[in-house]
Amino acid sequence: MSEPAVEVKNLTKVFQTGSPGANVFKKGIAGSYVVAVDNLSFQVNSGEVYGLIGPNGSGKSTTMKVVLGLMSPTEGSAKVFGLDSGDIKARSEIGFLPENPYFYRHLSGEETLKFYGKLCGLKGKALNDRISELLEMVDLEGARKRRLAGYSKGMLQRIGLAQAIIQRPRLVILDEPTAGVDPVGSRQIRDLIIKLKEEGISVFLCSHLLEQVQEVCDHVGIIFKGRMRQEGTLEELVSIENRYSIVLEDASPALIKEIEKLVAKEKGASIAEQGNPKTTLERLFLKIAGRKESDA
Amino acid sequence: MPSKLPNWLKIVLILAAFGLVRSPVENSLRRKMNTAGMLLPTPGHSAMAQMGQSALMGMLGGLRTLVATGYLLDSYRHFDNADWDANRKSLLLATYLEPTEESHWVDLVWHRGINAPAWLETRARLPEIEKRILYHEYTRDAIELGEAGLKNLPKSVEIRKQMAEVYREKIKDPCGTAKMYKEMLGLEGAPMYANRFYGYFLSECPGKEKEGYDHLVNLYWEGSHNHLPTLIKKILVLQEELDIPVPLWIREKDPDAQKQINRRIKKPKPLPGGIVIP
Amino acid sequence: MTTFTETRIKIPMFSPSRVWTIATGTMTQLVRMKTFYFLLVFAVLVAAIGNIDIKSASSVSQLETIKKVSFGTMDIFAWLYAIVATALLIPRDLEDRTLYTILSKPVRRIEYLIGKLLGVLVLIAASLALMFTLCLLMLAYKQSGFIADEIKMLQAAPNVTTAEIEEQVKLIQRQGVRPELAVAALASFLKSSVVAVMTILISTFASSSLFTIITSIFFFLIGHAHGMMTDFWLHKTEGNLIIRMLTKVFKLLIPDFQLFSFSEGIVIGAEVVPRVVWSMGFLTGGYLFVFLLISLMIFLYKEF
Ligand SMILES: Nc1ncnc2c1ncn2[C@@H]1O[C@H](COP(=O)(O)OP(=O)(O)O)[C@@H](O)[C@H]1O
Ligand SMILES: [Mg+2]
Repeated sequence: MSEPAVEVKNLTKVFQTGSPGANVFKKGIAGSYVVAVDNLSFQVNSGEVYGLIGPNGSGKSTTMKVVLGLMSPTEGSAKVFGLDSGDIKARSEIGFLPENPYFYRHLSGEETLKFYGKLCGLKGKALNDRISELLEMVDLEGARKRRLAGYSKGMLQRIGLAQAIIQRPRLVILDEPTAGVDPVGSRQIRDLIIKLKEEGISVFLCSHLLEQVQEVCDHVGIIFKGRMRQEGTLEELVSIENRYSIVLEDASPALIKEIEKLVAKEKGASIAEQGNPKTTLERLFLKIAGRKESDA
Repeated sequence: MPSKLPNWLKIVLILAAFGLVRSPVENSLRRKMNTAGMLLPTPGHSAMAQMGQSALMGMLGGLRTLVATGYLLDSYRHFDNADWDANRKSLLLATYLEPTEESHWVDLVWHRGINAPAWLETRARLPEIEKRILYHEYTRDAIELGEAGLKNLPKSVEIRKQMAEVYREKIKDPCGTAKMYKEMLGLEGAPMYANRFYGYFLSECPGKEKEGYDHLVNLYWEGSHNHLPTLIKKILVLQEELDIPVPLWIREKDPDAQKQINRRIKKPKPLPGGIVIP
Repeated sequence: MTTFTETRIKIPMFSPSRVWTIATGTMTQLVRMKTFYFLLVFAVLVAAIGNIDIKSASSVSQLETIKKVSFGTMDIFAWLYAIVATALLIPRDLEDRTLYTILSKPVRRIEYLIGKLLGVLVLIAASLALMFTLCLLMLAYKQSGFIADEIKMLQAAPNVTTAEIEEQVKLIQRQGVRPELAVAALASFLKSSVVAVMTILISTFASSSLFTIITSIFFFLIGHAHGMMTDFWLHKTEGNLIIRMLTKVFKLLIPDFQLFSFSEGIVIGAEVVPRVVWSMGFLTGGYLFVFLLISLMIFLYKEF
């Protein structure tokens, strides 16, 4: 069995509040603290798509930054392919797309990829070929020479994705890849994620919009206020053992009446709900969030 | 981190250690650059007291020369308005900022010692006594300013030339004039005529006539390149006046009598203001 | 599947090519941000300076004024550019989250810092070279005009020998284009390099470009004048212990920028002592090294 792509163990991250720059000189005297991530553990297996889901401020980005080595954990650890996060060797195996990224606005799409490619040690024809391949993959061939200042949000996310995988990393970390992108753009991004998975690349993504990611994730973790609330495969999380749903298309009211009658015939069985289907994951999430909110 | 010192303390310590290491190096470099004139000296306290904010401004990179130039332009404006005191003040401030800038000092001596007295002479309405007092005051001040300049630029020929002109034209003091020409001798850039002029004016300085004559005669015997009409004429006059024994006389005819064309009269040397040295 | 570690990736301790990638990226960024437009302003200023006409000044002192003002302006532009350009880099990368993407690539933080500094230094050098050329052109143009006028005037005057004309021309040339002026430009470069590295240091803990610019200018002023301020305050506050301590501390911690103003003397015509210039180069190197080291100490533990 191969090593897990990401292994987070008992991760805790505490911020001293005040200006973000204040922690340069390490912890000051007193002051208030924010526990952004609280004893979080999970793992992203090699080759799977893992989605961390939670509302804004629940600690998703912080977790990713620790995994990337942009921040150090207050307690616990994060490992990437068995290496400590922040190890430069680990980073050559990671591609990262931050949330709402802005790249150098004055560079064209091609130049952006060239810049990041060179940072990863690529050069010459290999780099140029890779750039063409990626631009085609993310469907930005037409905008190759255009400066990023003129890119739409969706295009920025896509060039960001291309940038992230320029060195063929084995793990891609995406922070809110579909946030702020229109449905078509977010569809494109989801297709790309699926493509990455097909190529055997592990993906660790996070989102606060569940329906946008649920179909691509193999594993989902639900994080709220820095703590893991529930974790499992999509099936595990959303299926309810004693329930079964049939989704009908173009069914007449008469047919539905008929089915209702049939159900009524069986002892113990009942129709728990009916109506137009909802995103079940979202519902589950809302339930969890609501419960924690009330007992917090 | 291996050690227990907090990061900021380490940083301060490194900065301080670097400060300790570099300060002797910097001090020695400052001394060397001051000597070479690459760094302009910082103005003294008295200058600061007078300049205040602009002195601080003037210390900034590149700004100093700009501020000084501003004062210089100011001084020209005051010159045009014949506001001699304001002119003096502006130029003096310029010298505070750039004490090694020769032209500031030359300008100071020139305005104070030549232009201001010349302007006085044209003031018909001024009572004679006041004119005389001011005239004395201006010229004395010019010489003092020149001397202050020479403290900063001991090897300056230009300041001495300007002071010599003040002595010669305005104070009418041959002893002072001679002193200036004498000081020029041996300095780099000294005009060739300085040696002769020293002799001419020394020979007019009461009590120093013989000394002056000796100097001129020595020049005469140095070679025919010195046999200028003015020199010859001066010696001819002096050897009679000073009762030099006839065997020591030079045997030359009065150059004026010959109506010889002066091949080597010192060219008219334009000084600031178009004043010409004879 | 190969177990990942040494097999696939070898990452050198320090990669000049990554540094250069960041440096060239920085240069493109600054160029395309149109920071170079300040050169146009400079060109206009130099043209204006060249047209200062001081009625009653001799051509020698006019030439000197033009030279002093244009080189002085060049010096100011150089250090201002060093501060502003540098301050636009790191805080902006942070604001735009570009820093995340760069630092999540196999790039060491020291390489990022050196790359940024190098980019700025190359640009400062380039802009200084341009400004220097502009100054020289203006000076050469004015000089040739003055010389032509002088020759015309002297030839019209009676009793002027060619040797004497030559002497006058030499007098003008002494204030004109001379090779020493390149050392004056070098002095401006050394000063701006130290300013740039100080700004980098400040920007490693600053949170915005504006804060970086203001702080850097503040320290620049102190560093430029602390020698003089020591004098000034000590004189005013006769032996006030606190002030004396404070100025000592300033002197120890803040670069002595006044020492780097030796272009002023050279422009006026001071002789250039090559040994001293070399020493100043080494001193600059020392500043770059120590300030980069400190920047790294902050940057290495900085969390984003
Ligand atoms: N640099 C920081 N300094 C202080 N608090 C921070 C910092 N970064 C994040 N936080 C806080 O930590 C919590 C988690 O933030 P984040 O990880 O960005 O959440 P998410 O990405 O899930 O929206 C928030 O309350 C946020 O305010
Ligand atoms: Mg986030």
